[in-house]
Amino acid sequence: MEFKQVIGDRRSIRFFDPDREVPRDKIQKMLEAARLASCAVNAQWARAVVGFRDDLTEDQLNRLKTPVAGLNTEMAPVHIHWFLDAGVVQRNEGRPLKELVDVGALAPTHGWSHKFVDDFVYPQILKPMTMAENIYHRTAAFDVGVAVCQALLTGVDEGLGVGLVTLNGGVLKEVFGTPDDWIATSTLLVGYPAESADGGGQRPRPPFEEMYFLGKHGTPFPRDEKVVAELKAANMIQEQAKPNDPKRIAEIKALAEKYGLPM
Amino acid sequence: MTEEIIELRPMLEYESVRMWLDGLRQHWGGDPAADDPERLPILEAFCRHANVDPDGIIKGTTMVKDGENRIRIKGREKYAALIDEFQASVEGSRFKKAKWGNTVRSFLIHNGVLLAQGMER
Repeated sequence: MEFKQVIGDRRSIRFFDPDREVPRDKIQKMLEAARLASCAVNAQWARAVVGFRDDLTEDQLNRLKTPVAGLNTEMAPVHIHWFLDAGVVQRNEGRPLKELVDVGALAPTHGWSHKFVDDFVYPQILKPMTMAENIYHRTAAFDVGVAVCQALLTGVDEGLGVGLVTLNGGVLKEVFGTPDDWIATSTLLVGYPAESADGGGQRPRPPFEEMYFLGKHGTPFPRDEKVVAELKAANMIQEQAKPNDPKRIAEIKALAEKYGLPM
Repeated sequence: MTEEIIELRPMLEYESVRMWLDGLRQHWGGDPAADDPERLPILEAFCRHANVDPDGIIKGTTMVKDGENRIRIKGREKYAALIDEFQASVEGSRFKKAKWGNTVRSFLIHNGVLLAQGMER
């Protein structure tokens, strides 16, 4: 699938086909994509535990289900639980940066050398940063999000439905036995959609000009309609979902009846 | 001491029932009471099962704290269990049981009390 089409087709799926198995190779492709994501100081904070729903005991599944995400979690055959490995920077002591120096990704042209990493970057920036949890966790969580996004889009490219939810970190730690310094970030639910692929249309977003600025805050980045037309032609920008769409309402009613859900 | 059995007024006299039907109408369209004539009798049957009126259910699952509406966790758990019990007590197919339970869940959902149920498979 074309990249822009993948972005355009992505929806947060909430009705998964609970009985259609997801091939393991598709999950691996999603993880491979996450591994290649951009990451500050090449730290690689992202970790994941893949849980196949049907491998969980009933008690484990019930404990994972939160009031808001319980139904989605029950319907999705695969759950990819993403964590932030907070200990990775101190364990590696700057080694991933030196690997970047060795392969020429970081070069002396930009001031990089092994000695710079050993004498300055690790002891004076990275290590102290790990002590300031507020800043450190925010930085690391952002990069985990970038990795998760790559996995998520790869799932769409593989014809799967995906949706992010937040489960209880303490329960995840207990159920999956993760190390103490792993912090739960989000769970990516994966399966084949039981709802229509377009989910009633792209979901509402604030106007472009209210979100992005040019030069300084308050000056909207001008939205060129020719670019919009180009992206529509590439199916990245698709028809937006409409309130009270009879087709979508009928679809949800049918899904509610099929799976015995309240209306 | 035995619990006094509650006397119920016609369902539409309760504010929470009107709120429920308004929510259904706004979300799904149509006339909720006429489109599914079982809705109100099912809620009434649940009220008799739990010995509480509809407004009492909402009072038992919500509260106002610091000027904001909140869900009572224990109340929510209590009614989730009561609905499960009510659903199990219904005679008939599992779809009928699910419909009866989900009708009561719908009443709570449209009154702002999150009560998601799992699938019936």
